[in-house]
Amino acid sequence: MSRISRRELLHLSATSLASGLVLAACGKQAGVQDDGAIARLGEAPSTTVLVEAEINDVVLLRTASSLEYNAIDTYTAAIGLGVFKGDLAGATEIAKRFRQDHQNHADAVNGLVRALGGKEYLCANTRINDLYITPALALITDEKNPNIGIDVVALAHAVENLAAQTYQGMVELIADPKLRADAIRIGQQESRHAALLAQVLNPGLAAVGPTFDATTGKPKIAAIPAAFGPQTNIQLTVGAPKDDGSRTTLLLETPSLNSLIYEGVSCSA
Amino acid sequence: MLNDADTKLLAFAQALELSIRDVYATLVERGTKTGDELAILELMHSHHVAYQQSLNGVLGKKAATTRNDEVFTKTVAALSDPSQTWPVLLDLENTAVATHSAIVERIESPKAASLIASVVMIEARHAAIISTLISTNLGQALDNPAQALVAP
Repeated sequence: MSRISRRELLHLSATSLASGLVLAACGKQAGVQDDGAIARLGEAPSTTVLVEAEINDVVLLRTASSLEYNAIDTYTAAIGLGVFKGDLAGATEIAKRFRQDHQNHADAVNGLVRALGGKEYLCANTRINDLYITPALALITDEKNPNIGIDVVALAHAVENLAAQTYQGMVELIADPKLRADAIRIGQQESRHAALLAQVLNPGLAAVGPTFDATTGKPKIAAIPAAFGPQTNIQLTVGAPKDDGSRTTLLLETPSLNSLIYEGVSCSA
Repeated sequence: MLNDADTKLLAFAQALELSIRDVYATLVERGTKTGDELAILELMHSHHVAYQQSLNGVLGKKAATTRNDEVFTKTVAALSDPSQTWPVLLDLENTAVATHSAIVERIESPKAASLIASVVMIEARHAAIISTLISTNLGQALDNPAQALVAP
């Protein structure tokens, strides 16, 4: 029950009325000529309303295609560095095969995009590049880094996990069940790539499942890290050791609202 | 809430997982693999236990109560030759990947499809690692020639 008295109510009404009159006097009135007598600071700029960005199957598939190009570019850079020597001599052939798989995936995904009436996307995801791949490559190719070859493999492993998690996450978002299956059929091969690269980084059957660093207690890279496909951020530790011996860790996350390839986004391949 | 068609598909997936679980359990009991190889079998067995349990949880009272006996019998027969352990398991994991992917194609519930997808992603890793125990053939580890089992 209200505790406002009749007197207070009348007082509030009068105040509201007075406020309204003041505001009305300040505002531009229809039919009233502006003679410039009242000083005004600045002019509110006109705004362009953003196009409503819908997240649909075309957007999700275009985003998947962009990640395939991230992977293709990563392998091209890895091969171009010429660091697969010694123990990693076989890695060039693996990188070539994986790059071709990603090209096949990109072609397949863009075929699905076209079938849906969308426009294919033939470029890498800029935001994923800017946030993760370019900084990682800068750290890896630092002249003080003694482990360029293995760090390149670590980057490829992270990118494969990113692609696998992206396809897995998309299954719940894609509307058409047939497209969900197409996504997972591609994603499972990214998962195989990741498993094989994990064995390069942490070899041996004893390292297939989860293992932990005896000193730090941190989990080591595993070919089969869990019973179910994870949907967590991906840790990538690369680069030259710092003064305290630690190295830089980047946390990779699957594309989100600000890195999806919406239908209005275009690129020149 | 799952519709009838989704329920049948998930129950089919669960029955397949029960078969694979039992195949790994049989191999572990036989004791023909030791050390790290045995640990791999135990790890993969534990995963298939988790898959069938998660599907059991989703299906509740409509969960499968028996394994896919055709798959189990055929696979165990093929495993009678110990030298064929890894090739037979590779085919089994690849078949699971193909079958579950085919199920995702038909299932309506996005959440159920997502669960199956999370299973497929690890079964694909199982297959890749098993393949490395057979040969260094990259194509064998990466490509899946298996046919999907036909769900009802």
